[in-house]
Amino acid sequence: MNRRILIVEDDVSISNIIKLNLTIVGYETVQINDGMEALEELKREKYDLVLLDVMIPRLDGFELMERIRPMNIPVIFLTAKNTVFDKVNGLKLGADDYMVKPFEAIELLARIETVLRRYGKGESVLSFQHIEVNLDKREATAAREVVELTPKEFDLLVLLLKNKNIALSREQFIERVWGGDYYGETRTVDMHIKSLRKKLGLQEHIKTIYKIGYRLED
Amino acid sequence: MKFWQKISLFSLLTFAVIFNASSIMVIERNHRNMLRQEIDNALSINMNIRSSVDAVVPLLRIYNSIDYEKTVLTNIASEFVSKNSGRGSYLEIVADDHRSIYSNLDFEYAGSRDELEQLKPDEIKYILRDIGDRTLLFTSNVADINQKGYIFTYVKDLTPLYAERVDQYRFFIQVDLAACLLYVLVMFAVSKGLTRPIDKMVRTAQGISQGNFSERVSVRSGDEIGLLAANFNRMTDVVESKILELERNNAEKQRFIDNITHELKTPLTSIIGYAHYLKATKYDERLFLEGLNVIHSEGKRLESLSAKLMDLILVKDHLFERKAENVKSVVEELAPSLELRAAAKRISLDFQCRDAFCLMDKDLIKIVLYNLVDNAVKASAEDGRIAIRTFAEGPSVLLEVADEGSGIPAEHIEHIFEPFYVADKARTRSHHGAGLGLAICRSIADIHQASIEAASGNRQGTTIRMTLQALSRENEVKDKP
Repeated sequence: MNRRILIVEDDVSISNIIKLNLTIVGYETVQINDGMEALEELKREKYDLVLLDVMIPRLDGFELMERIRPMNIPVIFLTAKNTVFDKVNGLKLGADDYMVKPFEAIELLARIETVLRRYGKGESVLSFQHIEVNLDKREATAAREVVELTPKEFDLLVLLLKNKNIALSREQFIERVWGGDYYGETRTVDMHIKSLRKKLGLQEHIKTIYKIGYRLED
Repeated sequence: MKFWQKISLFSLLTFAVIFNASSIMVIERNHRNMLRQEIDNALSINMNIRSSVDAVVPLLRIYNSIDYEKTVLTNIASEFVSKNSGRGSYLEIVADDHRSIYSNLDFEYAGSRDELEQLKPDEIKYILRDIGDRTLLFTSNVADINQKGYIFTYVKDLTPLYAERVDQYRFFIQVDLAACLLYVLVMFAVSKGLTRPIDKMVRTAQGISQGNFSERVSVRSGDEIGLLAANFNRMTDVVESKILELERNNAEKQRFIDNITHELKTPLTSIIGYAHYLKATKYDERLFLEGLNVIHSEGKRLESLSAKLMDLILVKDHLFERKAENVKSVVEELAPSLELRAAAKRISLDFQCRDAFCLMDKDLIKIVLYNLVDNAVKASAEDGRIAIRTFAEGPSVLLEVADEGSGIPAEHIEHIFEPFYVADKARTRSHHGAGLGLAICRSIADIHQASIEAASGNRQGTTIRMTLQALSRENEVKDKP
């Protein structure tokens, strides 16, 4: 079942770009641009997570947060202000995380995934074409056959699956898989990708994007 | 030591010294007078005895017998004693050969009686002696009878006089204690009362130093302390209002910075988001165009914001120079660019300008005019009309820009001059506005000590009016068509 995310953001362009990014990796989204309407919508429909802008008309993000706290819905704040006050205020009110604008899509997706997993709403099995990845068992199968992967290859595969249809740069792979303090060559990424393609038969799907990096495509 | 304690103590000391000194002086003087009186009295009694004796001297001369003399003198003495008995009076008659003729002294005096030596006739000597616990006045004179000297000594017991003085001192000490006690109590109350306002001020000052700037002293008296309290309160008022002003300025600045941050980050989020999306996903023509559109329009929005911020900085830091100018000619100078702006929506500009002179910085007034017309164009429908009026009215010069557009709802009217305030967010977005135009106009109006206000009915168009101070009245000339 697809996970539903409510985007509460009054800037249409920002709301749209968030929707595009979430849709492409497989979330279902609804866009709302005003606090009161968001409250109504949350009372009416069930959502797995709310992305909530602080400065929205009628009922601001903090007030809305106060009202929906009893519903126990995960909330990530979107804010233009990165002052300490706003962070503390947002988190004290019971938000699960916050994103300071402008933010990168990969970062937003990662935070959403983290929060969902904390609420037990994370996917434990990711599937793509003939491939299935069990996150709990750290096991990957291709056409139901278990494929032996090194830990780094496994993490790389998970990152590709979670950012399906979005190109990731070699630097992003290194930061996410090897950690921010890795100063090795980006060639390492290429080697691992090559190995993944071969082991899983994904030559057609893991595309090399010129001057950018790699993208997993349907 | 507390001030009120000092007042009480010092005034008590002063009081005690003066009160005691004067009381002692009165008692002592009184005593001295009484003593003088007693002495005079004793002397005159002595003289009396002497004259009684003098009266019988001729008789004694006739008989010239020692025994007779003794009898007569004894008689006089006992007659005197019986008359003055029981009043502490004594009489002693001694012959010059130390033979005692008469004495009713009831005490022994061991010391020498120097006053009896070399006593001359017609001379009375007196001396005060303390014998036992008594004080006695001795008065002596000598009478010469038949070539023999008889010394008459009249002794008066003055013990009651001294007892009286001791008594007075005793009484005085009681009065003194009571008076001092009463005085201290009164002084405590008085000095406490006088210094209470000072205490209050001290407490208030402490409160203020702890940051409670709204505290005030409540002292209502016309004296110097009341005056001090009133001045203290006035000072605190000024301090408080200055601090409030600073806080307000600070909050305003913070709000301004927050708004700038927001206004910068919102378009940046869209631009970065779309650019990344287009870069990282498979080409899709519809999304590609949508994304480029957003990037372009958000870029324009940033451009407009930076231009407005530059204007605002210009206004804030501008070393403006006010010169006498005709508002009408300022409008005429700017007319071509206004026409150009209006042409975008085929709006006709209706110039209704009369000569109106005032002191102004031309460049700044042009910014105001352009902003007002720009807003009017945004609010107007295609083929609309905008009126630009300048005229003098009494002591004022007015600059008005009136549109027939969508108007401003009443709840927004009072806020539209605040930086970043936008009445219609969606519409402002579509015009790349950030809500700075009118804030800039107001800053410029403030520099010119002019007022700027908006009149609008929803759906009835908006008129923004700037009221400047006219230079002088005779410059008013009829409008040329």
